[in-house]
Amino acid sequence: MTKTARQMRKVCGNCRYHNTYEYPEKVFCFARFVGRKRPVVSILFSCDAWENKLQECLCLEDHMKHKKGTRREAVSKREMKKRF
Amino acid sequence: MDRTGFLRTPVAHMQLRPDMTVDQLIDQFRNSGSFGAGRLASACDIFEKMARDEECTIFLALAGAMVPAGLRKTIADLIKRRLIDALVSTGANMVHDLIEAIGGHHYRGHWVVDDYLLYKYHIYRIYDVFVPEEDFIKADEVLVKMFDEIASETEGKPLSTNELVWEIGKRLKDKDSIVRSAFESKVPIFLPAMRDSEFASIYTMHRERNKAGKALMVDAFLEVPELHGITSRSKSLGMICLGGGVPRNSVQHAALMTGRGLDYSVVITTDRPEPGGLSGSTIEETISWGKVKQKANKVMVISDALIAFPLITAAVLERLGRSFHRDGNP
Repeated sequence: MTKTARQMRKVCGNCRYHNTYEYPEKVFCFARFVGRKRPVVSILFSCDAWENKLQECLCLEDHMKHKKGTRREAVSKREMKKRF
Repeated sequence: MDRTGFLRTPVAHMQLRPDMTVDQLIDQFRNSGSFGAGRLASACDIFEKMARDEECTIFLALAGAMVPAGLRKTIADLIKRRLIDALVSTGANMVHDLIEAIGGHHYRGHWVVDDYLLYKYHIYRIYDVFVPEEDFIKADEVLVKMFDEIASETEGKPLSTNELVWEIGKRLKDKDSIVRSAFESKVPIFLPAMRDSEFASIYTMHRERNKAGKALMVDAFLEVPELHGITSRSKSLGMICLGGGVPRNSVQHAALMTGRGLDYSVVITTDRPEPGGLSGSTIEETISWGKVKQKANKVMVISDALIAFPLITAAVLERLGRSFHRDGNP
């Protein structure tokens, strides 16, 4: 997925209300917080209040890289189990 | 004065030894008596006099990012020892104290850095100190909930900034916190420019969550009679100022309003007087307003406060010794 396409995805990491909470996995949403809803959500979460704003931050990009890395790591652990 | 009057005390050259204590170094500064070294030595003498003057109320006026840069524990310890009787601070310094009280950190960084990259990583820079956004956010979350709780307890009764700070201090567990230490030692903390800090965001979120008159009420003017009460009850007034700005003037103005003027004044700043701002104004200029007494013990140290203040404090603590006890004023 290109960077622009990723930036257009309807996820919290692209929403104007997001702030980082556990970089790059979780974000803190002020809109939810003032509405007394659970404010800490996954960067890939989204809700009706989502307002796209071209984000200059690297949260989403780093999250995707991190996810890919974790998946690779999981595979290699599986491989290790097979071998030993 | 005749000619000999100008040539009474020769400059003594500093003698440095490998096993010197901080106060012994300051003693060498005093013997030189020149430039910043001489002023720093005078500042130590004035702070020591303030500490030993049982009738003196010692104000610390705190501006500039002193807490993020590492003075948090120093200030909390001075409060516990009652070497500070009242703190007047920027809101930001207390927010940074609360960030650490809630589990966040400030990180050593560098001033040569790609700031746009920091922006993209949600990291804020204070010269060469970095603060991750999540530490601000986590502090916001906790403090908004504290504001909610305080608002429901006070039921619309307006609080002064000090009353609010003590309410927050009461709810903290971190013993190294300035706010917690002030609450425990009953040392007031005044925040005359409280809203010019993260407290503004915290208040905005709290208000959004508590509409229809249920939000916390903080009256900025309530601290004025509280401050004046302290200055009028005190027999002697002292101020140590790090930086300047609103905190420095709040202390000086309280001294003026009660017709007293400060008896001791140590100002540590790098600001210049020529542009006319208060932070760089000389103590002599302050005398013209009646904010500092003409015969006050006073010195202005032109230095980075993060260097000068720990040196002054360490030397004074050494002079006072472990057994020194101060009840505090007023």
